[in-house]
Amino acid sequence: MRCRVCSREAQEQPQSKYCEPHQKAYETIQKKSEVWKKASSIEWKEYLKEVAKNPLTGMWAREVAESLLSEKE
Amino acid sequence: MEKYTLIVTEKPDAAKRIAEALDLNGKPKKAEEKNVPYFLAQRDKPLVVVPALGHLYTVVHETGRRNYYPVFNFKWAPRYVAERGAKQVKAWIEVISKLAENADSFIDACDYDIEGAIIGYTLLKYACGNKENTATRMKYSTLTKEELEKSYSEQMPHLDFAMIEAGKTRHEVDWLYGVNISRALTLAANRYSGRYATLSTGRVQGPTLKFLVARERSINSFVPTPYWSFMAQVEIEGKKYPVDYQKRIIERKADADTVVEVCSGREGTIEKIEEKKMQITPPTPFDLGSLQSEAYSLFGYAPRRTGNIAERLYLDALISYPRTSSQKLPPIINYRAILNGLSQEPSYKKLALDLLGKEELRPREGSKEDPAHPAVYPTGNRPERVLDESERRIWDLVVRRFMAVFGEPSVKQSIRAAINVNGHYFYLRGRHVLKEGWMKYYKPYLRTEEVSLPPIKEGEPVQLEQIIREDKFTQPPPRYNPSSLLKRMEAEGIGTKATRADIIETLYSRKYIAEERIVVTDLGFDVIDVLRQHAPSVISVKLTRDLEQKMERIQSNSEKREKVLEEAVYRLKPVLTELKKHEMKIGEALSSALKRARVQERTIGECPSCHTGKLMILFSRRTKKRFIGCTNYFSKACRTSFPLPQGGTVKPAGRLCKGCGWPVLFVHVRGRRPWNLCFNPACPIKEERRKRLEMQGLQSRGSGTTTEQIL
Repeated sequence: MRCRVCSREAQEQPQSKYCEPHQKAYETIQKKSEVWKKASSIEWKEYLKEVAKNPLTGMWAREVAESLLSEKE
Repeated sequence: MEKYTLIVTEKPDAAKRIAEALDLNGKPKKAEEKNVPYFLAQRDKPLVVVPALGHLYTVVHETGRRNYYPVFNFKWAPRYVAERGAKQVKAWIEVISKLAENADSFIDACDYDIEGAIIGYTLLKYACGNKENTATRMKYSTLTKEELEKSYSEQMPHLDFAMIEAGKTRHEVDWLYGVNISRALTLAANRYSGRYATLSTGRVQGPTLKFLVARERSINSFVPTPYWSFMAQVEIEGKKYPVDYQKRIIERKADADTVVEVCSGREGTIEKIEEKKMQITPPTPFDLGSLQSEAYSLFGYAPRRTGNIAERLYLDALISYPRTSSQKLPPIINYRAILNGLSQEPSYKKLALDLLGKEELRPREGSKEDPAHPAVYPTGNRPERVLDESERRIWDLVVRRFMAVFGEPSVKQSIRAAINVNGHYFYLRGRHVLKEGWMKYYKPYLRTEEVSLPPIKEGEPVQLEQIIREDKFTQPPPRYNPSSLLKRMEAEGIGTKATRADIIETLYSRKYIAEERIVVTDLGFDVIDVLRQHAPSVISVKLTRDLEQKMERIQSNSEKREKVLEEAVYRLKPVLTELKKHEMKIGEALSSALKRARVQERTIGECPSCHTGKLMILFSRRTKKRFIGCTNYFSKACRTSFPLPQGGTVKPAGRLCKGCGWPVLFVHVRGRRPWNLCFNPACPIKEERRKRLEMQGLQSRGSGTTTEQIL
């Protein structure tokens, strides 16, 4: 299976849609979504948009956020 | 010919200073053979002082070809055998060998540390014909006449063999790691792609790159978290003062809005005024790491640059030996004599005399020790030549730090007034220095800000003039810079004070990292991925530190060189087997990383015409010329192109033109000074330059001078 973002080999253990770096970024995105929700009362999609446009967001995290946004659309 | 004592030193400048210090008239004769300088001095007997050129001998593969691994058989050989660029070493060794023939005694006067010990030992053993066991040793920390004379008259009866053993082991272990792993990586990539590119790693280089990759991963996966704070001001006697809210971070936007709502435009009361006095102890003397770190934060000098400048100042006898990890200043260095010397320099006169007026001089010292040298200190000598700006700065820093460590503690006062505004607290803060103490010696390098407050009393009303909510985000972990990376290496106990800065430079030159605020390249990532997967022990900080400690124990005679070498080989063997087993897979990963790196190296930026392609340095097979073209050029979708100089190397400079904002290229033609080139033909700076030249042309015609004359 290939990573949804960069087409590298996806992580096998644990099974994932992403390669190792993008999986790590995905986990951070998920973990931080609760903090954002509590802080600004925003929903998942809005949160992803904010993460994708924030200049402080890391490159891999931005790529995952953009990929998740395009999936939903 | 009369027999003489041959004194070997590490560098030509040191040889000159030693000869001048030991010659009875202070005027040794300079001689030269095959461009190798040496000095003839007269003391109790004739002396010949000859310099090395750093390391003249190195570890090489005993026999066999260059393109295979594993290799565990090595020997020490002249550097020109192993390095193509070290041809002058041959002449150097020949001259030293010739001078050794007429010498009846030998003195090793190389710097007293591991590297110096090896330089002196290999010279005496190989160039002078096994004189290492009969030679004596001069030990000194400064190149001042007094200290050199003392070290000559109180020579150590033999070389420091424990230090030599430690140095030899370090070089040999580093060679075993460097040669084997680097060959494994280079050959894997070469065999897979058929293209040659040097890929290197080393015993310390690997773990250092691993820190950087770990940080890069955290930055790349970083998701900022929002938080809020306030910018608030109170008005007292018509003047505005900033105040801090009771909490620095508000985690919920709604809570921040509530604070603004209930406090905005309200009057508060000063409830409590707290005053605190803090005593600030003087700083500790500089060891090499702290000097490099301070010079980076004050002047932006990379650690290696500071190391080189300090080395020059040492050779000029202005400061003591800089490659030290000591933070101690023993009384034997004679504090008063140094301060007396410094008092001759107009800019330090007042400060030095001030310290000399003290009954007792006791420095504040740090905990770190170095058995070979004290902390870095000024010798008290004045410069004999005009120092350039960077040298002047580092010298001044060392002088002022030296004086500061003898200063009294300084006393600072901080005042905090708590203002209650509708149940919320805001703090008005002031701070000032009550007693300067050591700070007066180190003033130019202090970053303290005085904040004065108006006269205030508890119970007084205060108007909250302004409160603005500030929307903020948490920041990603900071990138390492050469100085913070050096500190990390030091804290982790990997590398030595002499090698750390060079290892960082190697990471840059191998293109594993780039930029001042260090960014790991794709190649750097892939090298670490390969090593993590197939040779984790090579990048293990723990194992590297462990080996490092064992090598240090050799110096204190509590570990054997043979045992450490055996262990290094024992650790390396399975790693190399694993690398060989997966050679094709490793080769594939590294080749594609190299390919990406090569493309990246030629990529200049987005195409200003089509905005879909990228501008790259391309090569035309038809005209056999290089040029800048859009990546859509060959598909004929975009014909944007710009000419390039055909000679020398051209690469992106990594910055934008000040005139037009286009990317700038760095051009280096052999024999010429490198220059930056803006390739935009319509760049306003070019236009201005053209007009200026035209004007000059007109003026010169008017005055009868020709352009040729002006040029």
